[in-house]
Amino acid sequence: MRDEEEDIDEIERQVRERYARSTHIEYGEEAADVEQQALLPSVKDPKLWMVKCAIGHERETAICLMQKFIDRTDLQIKSVVALDHLKNYIYVEAEKEAHVKEACKGLRNIYASAKITLVPIKEMADVLYVESKNVDLARDTWVRMKLGVYKGDLAKVVDVDNVRQRVTVKLIPRIDLQVLASKLEGRVVAKKKTFVPPPRFFNIDERRRDKDSGEYFEMVDGLMFKDGFLYKPVSIKSIHTQGIQPSFDELEKFKKPGDDMNGDMSSLNTLFSNRKKGHFMKGDAVIVVKGDLKNLEGWVEKVEDTTVHIRPKISDLPKTLAFNEKELCKYFKPGDHVKVVSGVQEGTTGMVVKVDGHVLIILSDTTKEHIRVFADHVVESSEITTGITRIGDYELHDLVLLDNLSFGVIIRVETEAFQVLKGVPDRPEVVLVKLREIKSKIDRRTSAKDKFNNMVATKDVVRVVEGACKGTQGPVEHIHKGILFIYDRHHLEHAGFICAKAQSCILVGGSTGGRRGNGMDAADARMGALRSPASILQSPGRLPPRGPQMNYGGRFGGGGRGGRGHDALVGKCIKIKSGPYKGYRGRVKEVTGVLVRVELDSLMKIVTVKRDDIADTPTVATPFREPRFSLGSETPMHPSRTPLHPFQTPMRDPGATPIHDGMRTPMRSRAWAPMSPPRDNWEDGNPDTWGSSPAYQPGTPPARPYEAPTPGSGWANTPGVSYNDVPTNAPSPYVPSTPVGQPMTPNSAAYLPGTPGGQPMTPGNAGMDIMSPVIGGEGEVNWALPDVLVNVLAAGDEGPGVVREVLGVCVVESIVGFQDVHVN
Amino acid sequence: DSTEANSRRGEERRRGEARMRGGGGGMMDDGGVEHAQIPNSFGHELRACLRCRLVKTYDQFRENGCENCPFLDMDKDRDNVVSCTTANFTGIISLMDPNRSWAARWLRIGRFIPGCYTLAVSEELPEEYQGMCQDNNVQYFPPKRP
Repeated sequence: MRDEEEDIDEIERQVRERYARSTHIEYGEEAADVEQQALLPSVKDPKLWMVKCAIGHERETAICLMQKFIDRTDLQIKSVVALDHLKNYIYVEAEKEAHVKEACKGLRNIYASAKITLVPIKEMADVLYVESKNVDLARDTWVRMKLGVYKGDLAKVVDVDNVRQRVTVKLIPRIDLQVLASKLEGRVVAKKKTFVPPPRFFNIDERRRDKDSGEYFEMVDGLMFKDGFLYKPVSIKSIHTQGIQPSFDELEKFKKPGDDMNGDMSSLNTLFSNRKKGHFMKGDAVIVVKGDLKNLEGWVEKVEDTTVHIRPKISDLPKTLAFNEKELCKYFKPGDHVKVVSGVQEGTTGMVVKVDGHVLIILSDTTKEHIRVFADHVVESSEITTGITRIGDYELHDLVLLDNLSFGVIIRVETEAFQVLKGVPDRPEVVLVKLREIKSKIDRRTSAKDKFNNMVATKDVVRVVEGACKGTQGPVEHIHKGILFIYDRHHLEHAGFICAKAQSCILVGGSTGGRRGNGMDAADARMGALRSPASILQSPGRLPPRGPQMNYGGRFGGGGRGGRGHDALVGKCIKIKSGPYKGYRGRVKEVTGVLVRVELDSLMKIVTVKRDDIADTPTVATPFREPRFSLGSETPMHPSRTPLHPFQTPMRDPGATPIHDGMRTPMRSRAWAPMSPPRDNWEDGNPDTWGSSPAYQPGTPPARPYEAPTPGSGWANTPGVSYNDVPTNAPSPYVPSTPVGQPMTPNSAAYLPGTPGGQPMTPGNAGMDIMSPVIGGEGEVNWALPDVLVNVLAAGDEGPGVVREVLGVCVVESIVGFQDVHVN
Repeated sequence: DSTEANSRRGEERRRGEARMRGGGGGMMDDGGVEHAQIPNSFGHELRACLRCRLVKTYDQFRENGCENCPFLDMDKDRDNVVSCTTANFTGIISLMDPNRSWAARWLRIGRFIPGCYTLAVSEELPEEYQGMCQDNNVQYFPPKRP
């Protein structure tokens, strides 16, 4: 028995020995396949308690508790967790709080008064959640320095030493010359980018060899340099490896000369690995950048977690290929419209103009500049941003007052500031101002005088004849202190704004003594576009000369021309035909827009009446009252004035208008006879108003009779549009030679029922119903002035032509056939 | 410094135990609980076993190998230590009672012996050693990569 017992004991001991070791070796019993979900804590599990401890000693505390457990078996806690990222606290797992308290007694790191808080069951799993950082420290990874002189600098890993936890990185050196110079006696040329040429001819100095890498470096002050870069061994802990997004500039600096971007593909790829994932969408055009299938293009078919399936462009390959996200890169062709979704340029849209490896050059929609972005940062989109146009009170193209003396036009609105083109005429000066630096908006309507003393107001077209921007032309957007801001569509800089002194410009259409040149034509298009006849009313105080000038511009919309007409009124004896003062006679003292101040003869007082209400005494009021009439008369004469000009002035204007002037001569002699006296009055009365006699602008030498300068074209331009029914179709000789292609209008209008006067002479035909065709009839003869562009409808010779001479029968020089045609 | 004293004491004890049982762990203790070696310092030499995530110092691994993974033969060959352990780990959990601890179960270290473990390692066990694991019928879970 004893033996048996001994045997049994022996066996027991043996068995124990044999299997004791294997107790803790698992043979697949581990709950490997059990989902994590199943392991969530239940009420039966021990609870987690959070305990405050000495900061920085969390690990130490955990290990101490472990030791304590080993020393004393009565410790009833189950485990202790010390998290790296959670300072000041440890977690203790135990059934009861008392156990925790017991365990913590006597430990130096846990304060006796330490708080113990229970962790709710739902949060228990989160406690143990670890964010695994994929620290892929490979060569050519981009990292950022954490400490020292180079803190925050981008660096590239060139060597990794895991054993010693060190890496060698490549940096752009920051060398303090002074310090270095004082250290070395040598004439080391140390700049920010130290470039010390590598040794060439003489024997390599052994000292210069780096014993670890075997490469040759330049040793300066204990630091290794090569090709201008500094190679620095640093510990892994002192660099940021995650989430490094090198900016474009930084990368540019790192690029060695001669290295094209594609050569940097590998480095760029590490960039991508750090980037947000999941930016491929179905339908994206992509290109393979890594692996055997490099440079294969295709389209994305399906995107899974990290695998992207693409359909390759080449048909020989199988339908879809799977790639890792890291191996692909978005691909764009020039001509694609894209939008930038990350990076500095976020939000801008534009068109790809060049693809350069990973970098796209995009022409921005808003700023019309070329910007370089990574292919990764853009998505294809048809959205076009207009950019923000206003911040606060200030909008794009506003004239604003900066500090006391300077002012300028906002040419671009950026995220927080404005680009302002300052009012310095000679050289364009753009400053970037913040919102608060702007004092106020300048909104005063001022006018200036151009080179030849024509009055220039906003929206007039001027041409710059002196200075840097000589030759440019455009409407004036703002005027301030004698400086004009002109907007030229063709000017590429500064959003098309040009700043020039008023004195260095000439008003297009303004009289310069015949040097108009093509101003009108060129301006026509613009003018037409810019001015609508209705806008005439806007320039009450406009002086006559402006009017005509604008007219010549072609459709200056007669803005303000009306004003001119007004001026002709001043001093006139008129009769008030409606309103409270009906029947009174008076003299016009002042004209402002629609209103006129009249000094009543009888009452010794000055009253304000509407323009419509007054009538020129000499002539029947009616005609003058007819807006159309004026328009009509305007038409031929004042192309701009034409249509909607309800002012009577237009009629009278003819005298004032350049056309008028020009026509004056011929007209006067004929059709205007009836009107001439009054007209003469006006003209004489206000010679200076028309000062520059824009009439002559069109190039008609005043002396030339029958010179209907441009009128032909002028007329053509006239907004005879109002008479839409007219011109073009009318068999009138006035061919709509409008540069802008608008119906001839004035002329035609004149001759059509629509045209009031049907001819420049209309004014002369005061008293005639503008709309009366009669006038038209009369006009027919009258308009045939030399140089009028006509459409010959005569038998055999249809087509446009220019009237060369009028001798009872018109002699027309046909444009087409270069022959003279006699027309009636 | 009580902690140091603690460690020293612990170390002595361990050594004593080792002498008695010829090993730091893996052997049944009479009264106490079997456990793995406790790291005796906190510096850079701390390493975690890639398979079981046990945390010890380099020297401790070199001397006694890994208690949970004896087949890795860390005590035999220095290279094994270098390849199978890493200094790159996050968080420490002192496990006293693997059988009853929820945290241990969650981290799948519930079957290992008490000791100090880490919550996560950053590297994978090299291929050849994974093969060894399979040969020995031992489970290996590579670290999760989100």
